[in-house]
Amino acid sequence: MKPSVVIAPDQPRAGIVTALRRLLPRMESVAAETRVLPFGIPELDSHLPQGGLALGSLHEVMPETKEDALAAFGFVTALLGRMLRKDPVLFVTSSGGLGRNARPYGHGLHQLGLDPARAILVRTANNKQSLWTLEEALRSGVPAAVAGTLERLDLKTSQRLQFAARESGVPLLLLRPAGITESTVAMTRWRVRSMQAARDRFGLIARWRWRLTLERCRNGRTGEWLVEYDNAYRFSLATAVADPALPRRASTERFCA
Amino acid sequence: MVDPKRPFVLSVEASGGPRIAALNEAAEAEGLAKQDLVADARAKAGVLQVRDIDPAADDTALKRLALWATRYTPLVSPWGEANGADGFFLDITGAAHLFGGEESLLADLADRLHGFGLPARLAIADTAGAAWALSQFHSSSTVVLPSGQEAEALARLPVEALRLSFDTRTTLRRLGFKRVGTLIDKSRAPFAARFEKELLLRLDQALGRAPEPLVFIKTPPIYHSARYLLEPIFTADAVVAFTTRLMRSLVHALVRDGVGARSLRLSLYRVDGVVETIDLGLTLPTRSPTHVARLIGLKLERLAGAVDAGFGFETLDLAVTVAEPMEAEQTELVAANDDSFSPEQCAALVDRLQQRLGRDSVQRLAPVESHLPERAEMLEAVVGDAAVWPAPDTNRLRPPILLPRAEEVKEVMAVVPDGPPARFRWRGTLHDVAHAQGPERIANEWWRDRGAKPTRDYYLVEDKAGHRFWLYREGLQGSEIRSPRWFLHGLFA
Repeated sequence: MKPSVVIAPDQPRAGIVTALRRLLPRMESVAAETRVLPFGIPELDSHLPQGGLALGSLHEVMPETKEDALAAFGFVTALLGRMLRKDPVLFVTSSGGLGRNARPYGHGLHQLGLDPARAILVRTANNKQSLWTLEEALRSGVPAAVAGTLERLDLKTSQRLQFAARESGVPLLLLRPAGITESTVAMTRWRVRSMQAARDRFGLIARWRWRLTLERCRNGRTGEWLVEYDNAYRFSLATAVADPALPRRASTERFCA
Repeated sequence: MVDPKRPFVLSVEASGGPRIAALNEAAEAEGLAKQDLVADARAKAGVLQVRDIDPAADDTALKRLALWATRYTPLVSPWGEANGADGFFLDITGAAHLFGGEESLLADLADRLHGFGLPARLAIADTAGAAWALSQFHSSSTVVLPSGQEAEALARLPVEALRLSFDTRTTLRRLGFKRVGTLIDKSRAPFAARFEKELLLRLDQALGRAPEPLVFIKTPPIYHSARYLLEPIFTADAVVAFTTRLMRSLVHALVRDGVGARSLRLSLYRVDGVVETIDLGLTLPTRSPTHVARLIGLKLERLAGAVDAGFGFETLDLAVTVAEPMEAEQTELVAANDDSFSPEQCAALVDRLQQRLGRDSVQRLAPVESHLPERAEMLEAVVGDAAVWPAPDTNRLRPPILLPRAEEVKEVMAVVPDGPPARFRWRGTLHDVAHAQGPERIANEWWRDRGAKPTRDYYLVEDKAGHRFWLYREGLQGSEIRSPRWFLHGLFA
């Protein structure tokens, strides 16, 4: 069926914009019916086309600075854990991709919502092997999601990966190094920064807190949010910026008796 | 090295010291015999070569020979302990005419065994017992006994020809029964009363009055297919294409037996006689020609250079080296975008990745019962069902990234000696701690580690920039060590 949009001049502007926007994905050969993975935060999901992270496409996640790599890793792990299909997820790391002397820790992954029994860890020797592995895994259609660290990615290769992801309907989440400016065909590019965690009333860490910047988003809008991730594996917006001075306030307040 | 021209015996441990279990012709010429003490034999023979007997190797060799003998008849029964474990029965019923009669079959067998360097004594008779007796005790090394003459033929042989136990034999001899003939046609009752059931049974079996069940070896199924090419091939693509065909020709046999290949070997015979072999190990049994061909392709790619086509390959030979039972429906029902998870597809993917990246490159995590964080899990091969992980304990936070070798942090400043750090330096960067929670005390596993390792106090520490670390202080202040050291063991999201 050919897409048909009737734009009558007497329609309200908002209606025309909506109709045009609906047309956009078709022009970019992205199936409008792709399934998505919503964050469960309306403010955030509304920025993404179809209200969530499109499965069957390429997404890039990068830390704001090198030190924020763990926040980016945590964000990707959380997303993997939220995948509805309970099939294995493939995690591809090139040597040293997660940093020197570091490896994923099952008990910790589990606390972020990803059952380690589902995780298949693949180690590659270099960027080239990683690319091959990612594409092979996507084309097999076996995993529920493919994630990995990737140092370099050029436009043409990203097109290949995006194509493979779209064919299989499997999302590909790539952890990229901080500060990349390469142009790729990724559906979204996220920048993640670690923020001081939200505490409960006893002052213990209750929810991880990250600042997410949606730097690029095809068919959607960019944005920036302070997002929390809790024990029940839910995302939420931070109600207020964490106040590290919380315990100190007692002393700064003056009491007059 | 053993010199076969000079006396050589195999020894076996027995009461009174090692005794001779087997000997060569040169040793026999020196007057040695089975069951002699090796010590005596040494004295008799001067220079004697002695080796310990290896029953397992003997057994394997006999099995191999028995398998070879299935060329005469499918019914081959290698001898067990009771028969001396040094030969086999062939049930040649209805098979002799294929070799031109019994005499020529026997001659052919003797000829071929001689060709192997095996001096053999052969006999054909109506009963297994009679054949055994004749092969052991007849004056000629090949005998064909016409039907119905067992009693006559056996009568002249010593009682040992009846395959009796040592005790029975000695008792018979003591009573004056030296030949089998003295036992035949004697009244049975006194023997039945005096001897084990064995004596009469063996006699009846030799004479064909009682049946003797034989255990025949099972020929292992061989899944093997070869292709001889008119024109040698050079390219990896051609090898892969022929592998697909070879595997396709094996599928029928594999389906028939309900098995799949767990490991395969592809042998490539080069024109100049060099043979290259490629071994494949699979995660799950498979029968898929495309899968096998794909793996061969990946392996060739990885081995690029190591496999040298030279003047080309003229023969390809694919053999299933390990076959495992496999459900019939697990064949090739591959639908690419099927949402239902299939372990076979997953195994196929793991196989492909392993062929290209190496076996240890594809692993998964399995939990281990241990308090120590670095021991609480391990990497394992992706085979079979994944282990079930215990539900996460939110009271004991664990980092998603662990540094397997904890790294010591420097310039640690703690407000109180047994409290969390207020500042530390790790990998050159100074971190000011904004928040710390803990400690979680983890004692060493004294039952496992000799030399007590100090206790650890773990803290989850957040610095001013919002980065979270998992630090521990080693040793109990005061009691275990004097000045505590701090280590970074993990990173939180």
